[in-house]
Amino acid sequence: MLNRSLKLSKRMYHANASDFLKPTTLGSLVYGKDSMQYKVLSHAMDVSVPIYGFNERAIVHSLNVLKLPSSMLSVISSSNPPSFLHSSPALMELIKFHLVDKRYKTVAGIDPEAADEELPSLESLLLKRLKLNAPIASRLSQVLSQLAIPGPFLLNNALPELHRLSDDLLYFSNEKDHTDFAWYSKRLAISCTYVSSELFMSQDKSADFSQTFEFAQEKLHRVMKLGEYYNNTEEFTWYTMLSAVNLAKSQLARG
Amino acid sequence: MLRNSFPRISKRQFSRLSSLRATNATSKEPTKRSQNENRHFPLSEAQAAYLDRVVRVDQAGELGADYIYAGQYFVLSSKYPHLKPVLQHMWDQEIHHHKTFNSLQVKKRVRPSLFTPIWKLGAFVMGAGTAVISPQAAMACTEAVETVIGRHYNQQLRCLTNQFDLKKANGSVSVPPEVNSLTETIRQFRDEELEHLETAIEHDSKKAVPYMLLTEGIKGICKAAVWTAERI
Repeated sequence: MLNRSLKLSKRMYHANASDFLKPTTLGSLVYGKDSMQYKVLSHAMDVSVPIYGFNERAIVHSLNVLKLPSSMLSVISSSNPPSFLHSSPALMELIKFHLVDKRYKTVAGIDPEAADEELPSLESLLLKRLKLNAPIASRLSQVLSQLAIPGPFLLNNALPELHRLSDDLLYFSNEKDHTDFAWYSKRLAISCTYVSSELFMSQDKSADFSQTFEFAQEKLHRVMKLGEYYNNTEEFTWYTMLSAVNLAKSQLARG
Repeated sequence: MLRNSFPRISKRQFSRLSSLRATNATSKEPTKRSQNENRHFPLSEAQAAYLDRVVRVDQAGELGADYIYAGQYFVLSSKYPHLKPVLQHMWDQEIHHHKTFNSLQVKKRVRPSLFTPIWKLGAFVMGAGTAVISPQAAMACTEAVETVIGRHYNQQLRCLTNQFDLKKANGSVSVPPEVNSLTETIRQFRDEELEHLETAIEHDSKKAVPYMLLTEGIKGICKAAVWTAERI
């Protein structure tokens, strides 16, 4: 149990990509981009989920279309324990794939070493990630309810993926990163923004989800403003404290 | 003449286009392959976790050192002007160390220690508190802190030089350049920390009044802080 909860806080050192061979697996998935699982699941995400929603039938449909035996279903689900509420392990894998693959697609092709002016803004990356949800927006509530169920999947996959997403959004954008506690608060703020925008999106009926994007922009803006308020308060308090100490010192020196 | 104008085909090809494809592929491949040949296999999970922990704890440690000297300087600089350049020199070095690890932390995407605000406050209070007792007590504090830090850096160096021989794609075994540069950085910083230790002893740290109590207490605190910063 302790081990499991520690997984949440586990963050790996990111080595220089140019010195090492590419890893064969994609993030927290156990397979890479040229594997059969990837092929089936990405087909499912692109074609079947908009038709059938997030369930086993979507994966079976993709298997049929790709002319693969439907017993592949058990291969796909192999890395997952049976979940709470009897959702199929294959479905959990599909959801995991959705999270990981979309996260990689959001930041694909961005070179984080580039100068700040060339990097996209945090807001544009957040919107890009939300736009990737557009084809499955009507099925989003299914994913969100699966992700919110307390249990091992939440601790091992849902929350870590959410925080990896906010970490990626920050790292690949021109937003300033922090070396102190603000590191945590900023990521938490972005995660909150993202989840609430996704919730909004699942109910959004406006054309091209314009209201969702408006909501996300405003929410992000508000959260950043909050950070600014905090920083200003801290700076002012620090200034007041120092000048008070110096005043006391000078008074003492006068005797 | 005629022989040179045609691409030489060693195997009999099934389609005419496949020879074209083959020459295209070979013209691109060698550069990519030789690049890959020179690359290391990825770090194992344990190695990545260890580097993660090294960067985090060193960042927290240098932050602490930075604030300890800030506290000492704050109290001592006006009362004991002869100590001012000594403290300033050590403080400047610590600021450089702190900045180096800050940039490593951001670049390597390591999370900082969760207790950063506590380290800041604690370090400043420790520096200022010992300096209030006496300048010798401040030096004893420096001595204790640098002893623990030096030992801890040595432990890290031992692990970094032992455990990071990675295989390359071409079969040779070597230490990846970024681990090497991290080792070099830590080695240099360790030497500078030990230099501070000597400076502290030269400035009468042994004459501090509750010497044993101060140094052993601070060593204990530092060890506990290192243990925590590595993990949380």
